[in-house]
Amino acid sequence: MSRKADQRSRVLVMALLVIGLILVLPLSLMIGRGSAGPTFGLGSSELAYTILGEIRLPRTLLGALVGGTLGLCGAGLQGLMRNPLAEPGILGVSSGAAFGAVIVFYFGLAASDSMLLAAGAVAGSMAALVILYGLAGRSVDLVRLILAGVGINALAAALTSLALNFAPSPYAALEILFWMFGSLADRSMAHVWLMLPLAVPGWLLVVAATRGLDALILGEDTATSLGFSVGRTLWLVIGGTALAVGASVAVSGVVAFVGLVVPHLLRPFVGYRPSRLLLPSFLAGALITLAADIAIRLMPPGPELKLGVVTALIGAPFFLHLILTSRGRLGT
Amino acid sequence: MLSYRSRLPRNNGSTGYLSLRCAFLGLLLPAFAAAQPPSVASINLCTDQLVLSIADPAQILSLSWLSADPEESMLASTAREFPLNYGSAEELIEIGADIVIAGSETSPFTRQLLRRLGSTVVEIEPAMSLDDIENNLRLVGGAIGRSAEAESVVASMRARVDAIRERRAEPARSAIVVRPGGFTIGRNTLAHELIELAGLDNRIAELDRWGSLSIEALLSHDPEIIVVMSYRTAEASLADSVFSHPALVSLAESSERIAVPARYFACGAPDSLTSAEVLLEQVAVR
Repeated sequence: MSRKADQRSRVLVMALLVIGLILVLPLSLMIGRGSAGPTFGLGSSELAYTILGEIRLPRTLLGALVGGTLGLCGAGLQGLMRNPLAEPGILGVSSGAAFGAVIVFYFGLAASDSMLLAAGAVAGSMAALVILYGLAGRSVDLVRLILAGVGINALAAALTSLALNFAPSPYAALEILFWMFGSLADRSMAHVWLMLPLAVPGWLLVVAATRGLDALILGEDTATSLGFSVGRTLWLVIGGTALAVGASVAVSGVVAFVGLVVPHLLRPFVGYRPSRLLLPSFLAGALITLAADIAIRLMPPGPELKLGVVTALIGAPFFLHLILTSRGRLGT
Repeated sequence: MLSYRSRLPRNNGSTGYLSLRCAFLGLLLPAFAAAQPPSVASINLCTDQLVLSIADPAQILSLSWLSADPEESMLASTAREFPLNYGSAEELIEIGADIVIAGSETSPFTRQLLRRLGSTVVEIEPAMSLDDIENNLRLVGGAIGRSAEAESVVASMRARVDAIRERRAEPARSAIVVRPGGFTIGRNTLAHELIELAGLDNRIAELDRWGSLSIEALLSHDPEIIVVMSYRTAEASLADSVFSHPALVSLAESSERIAVPARYFACGAPDSLTSAEVLLEQVAVR
């Protein structure tokens, strides 16, 4: 593809994503779960205002912010590792954050105050990061990094299970399980304000790595010889991901596979350079997550399906397809 | 009914302040309850049963959906008379009850959001003893202006307990409780108190609250009576296959098995005593 055609295709994709978001955002505000029907406009009713402004608006914003975070960080990690199977979960950041939240929940601190739950989640993602640093050190060996991520994921899953076993109440254990599947139900603006101060610096760190990620396409040695510090790029992406994904898990639980799927859907249209991929991935992640959350709200009455269940149902077959089709390329 | 205006956001919700306000409401509401009892919505299976047992039906705007399920709820046929909710904040804002009664162990996000929007949310801890049930009844009664009814329900519970004590067999017979999946009940649980009340001696009393019971443990305790909490037995589940293990054949021959529907133990409510009465009946029959 010529550079000009590539540019045109990227602009078109960005325009379509923005139009998609412009259509989906109001839709998300109009469709409620368990209410009488779609709400069109504010009208004069204070009740409608409360439902739109205090229940659906935060849910919509969080859907976009969490989805965008996962898309952006997925694209950043795939660029960093030059591994099409990388996603925020693979470094153990998500599961570390979830474990942090579960620990806070287990000690009963978070039942009345989800701010503590968030603090636990961010601490968990930071702990995962520190362990990752300890395991992979200053090494820029990417295979070693991925293996460290696998180990941290396994450890976090085991510790979460241990916490479940020691949970003082079987009801609390049930709550933790629901939390691990990810959900945006009944979040408030407080969760938006909780997430933003952590997520925005995280995004900026990942974006700051853009040029280093582009150089990494040529290989670590070439990138170094071009004057880019591979170590700096590595820790920018990982630190940014830890912050942003930690903040996301704090408010929504673990929403799987968005970070994996989104960059793959976009590459045929915007090309393979991370600098071209990061922003569209943010927009597409937001779009897909919002669409999944709207689908949940449209389902027949009953207890609400978890967002993480829906994204995994869509994402896991995609993941398997990816393993099949990339088998030849992975070992090289 | 009060206008929903009164429930719109007026504060940004320090929890301490809110719970203090709940406590004041509990004290103040009975005073003008005669004039206008507050409307109530309950979003938890167990609090539904507390509300149903003491509230004026006219007060109840909504109960949780599980209450209408006869496998889960002891009061399903009564609960079906009321509009049901699935516990989402949006539904509850539309229902617009003066007081929302919730379990303390579930839906923290919903409770937090409702408080933020100015609703009065009363949290009820799961009952671990008959005393807890009495306290919970009084808490709910105070919150919804039905303290007198709560006291009379407590009195009738105590009468039922006395009646069970008089009828139960002496000396106590050894027993263990098996829940689907091999879980069992230890001390500091309502179910433990209920089976001991029925004249059984829980062999697993050294266990604190809940635990899983291996087949080895089941054999070593060698109880006279095995109380099985049956739950949705018509539906396929690995949990129900506890007794198909070959090692249990001899135990199955030497012990009595009494099945009691799990819903009798699921919640702490006045009707929890039914479980002890059913057990008493069954033990006496054999």
